[in-house]
Amino acid sequence: MREQDLQHHIQLRRGDVGRYVLLPGDPGRCDKIASYFDYPHLMAYNREYKTYTGTLLGEKVSVTSTGIGGPSAAIAVEELVAIGADTFIRVGTSGGIQPGTIPGEIAVVTAAIRDEGTSLHYLPVEFPAVADTDVVLAMIEGAKRAGMPYRVGISQTKDSYYGEVEPERMPIANQLIERWDAWVAGGAICSEMESAAIFIVSSIHHVRAGGVMLMSFSEDNTPQTEEEWQRFEEMFNIERVIQTAIEGLKVLIERDSKK
Amino acid sequence: MLEEDLVHHLQMKKGDVGRYVLLPGDPGRCEAIANYFDDPQLVAYNREYKTYTGTLLGEKVSVTSTGIGCPSTAIAVEELVMLGADTFIRVGTSGGMQPYEKPGDLAIVTAAIRDEGTTLQYMPPEFPAVADVEVVTALREAAIKLDNPYHLGISQSKDSFYGQHQPERMPSANRLLDRWKAWKMGGAICSEMEASSIFILSSILRKRAGGIMLIVANQELDEPHRTVIRDLTDLIETSIEALRILIERDRQKA
Repeated sequence: MREQDLQHHIQLRRGDVGRYVLLPGDPGRCDKIASYFDYPHLMAYNREYKTYTGTLLGEKVSVTSTGIGGPSAAIAVEELVAIGADTFIRVGTSGGIQPGTIPGEIAVVTAAIRDEGTSLHYLPVEFPAVADTDVVLAMIEGAKRAGMPYRVGISQTKDSYYGEVEPERMPIANQLIERWDAWVAGGAICSEMESAAIFIVSSIHHVRAGGVMLMSFSEDNTPQTEEEWQRFEEMFNIERVIQTAIEGLKVLIERDSKK
Repeated sequence: MLEEDLVHHLQMKKGDVGRYVLLPGDPGRCEAIANYFDDPQLVAYNREYKTYTGTLLGEKVSVTSTGIGCPSTAIAVEELVMLGADTFIRVGTSGGMQPYEKPGDLAIVTAAIRDEGTTLQYMPPEFPAVADVEVVTALREAAIKLDNPYHLGISQSKDSFYGQHQPERMPSANRLLDRWKAWKMGGAICSEMEASSIFILSSILRKRAGGIMLIVANQELDEPHRTVIRDLTDLIETSIEALRILIERDRQKA
């Protein structure tokens, strides 16, 4: 592929994105994220891949939606690396796993459970899907600067949304429930659908990745009253995780410029 | 468990170890590590498990050897947690896996490939064996402070030493060679035999763990560069400095 050629799915070429790329799942969230950039421009929108590029602290940064799941997220990372991106931050929503999770708490993801099929096309299952330490440290600092409650830990990356939220209606219900219990026992803090693929593909390309997730309530903290639901709606606001990611990205840009 | 009860394999009771424990594989290395503690005392030596306890910055710290491999290491971590330990740093030797790694460099482990059998008796293989961020950060700061060259990354924790060093003579040669190539392409920086079990058990037991390895040799280098380093001084000094950093940080938090 020649440098000036458009990447097959994301429909971007070299120069269209910065080295730093935020990765939400939902293309509908790209506009919100890009509104935090200076001089945001819509670069492409093909299938589930919508990209804006702008600047933060004078550095070129982008946001590209991955769509839901490892298959489409892996394509996004592969093609973004091909046009020069080297730092990825997944920004999304997730379910809270550990008892006592506050609705709207931020999960800074250190590693991911490879409970999905895509990353097995790259590396055997024993290989850890792990975030880059500098990205993790920057996101922790970002959460502090944004004033958000956060916890640091492992995410479950699954392929089946309804297998997680309604396991009992699946033919393999017992297996789903038993494995979920193992993830909880292991200390996993959130459940989402893209991190493992992003981390594994990034390891192979020797580029950096990490993620911040907005968590909904854990089972034991399910809102009961009308007031509690209202409070949950306020806290489970995507702007909170976007602000965290933007602050974290600024930290990373500052630290990279000092190296 | 009663206060005076000895744990089965380590042969120690509550109070015999600090919350911070360094974990070499070789019992023969415990003394060299304990020499950096203030007032080190030999607490127990049973099977491959040798423990010294002393202090650093006035805080009780220990070193316990795990023996080779995850089966004996998992026992050590289980029993140390029963005794109240909550922070583990594996200190050991390893082989380099990337062409940019020189013998004598340090590998600070962020996560481990679960290429072993022990952790499967705890957790399905999809779960990542990952180090604690605070421990990783302390190790990196220690390496920088002491000006020791280091790499940050993933370790392969294997069950068979000779399966790595002489794969061609194994009945499963092709699989071993294929997988080694995959680990390298994934960016793994070192190969050793215990880290994954320390990380998985620490996740389940909600404790902190990390690891630092001396790259004693690198089979990926051309022949003239295949030296073997035997001096563990930089490795041990970096792990001790990291413990000091952790102790200070933990005090600031408290």
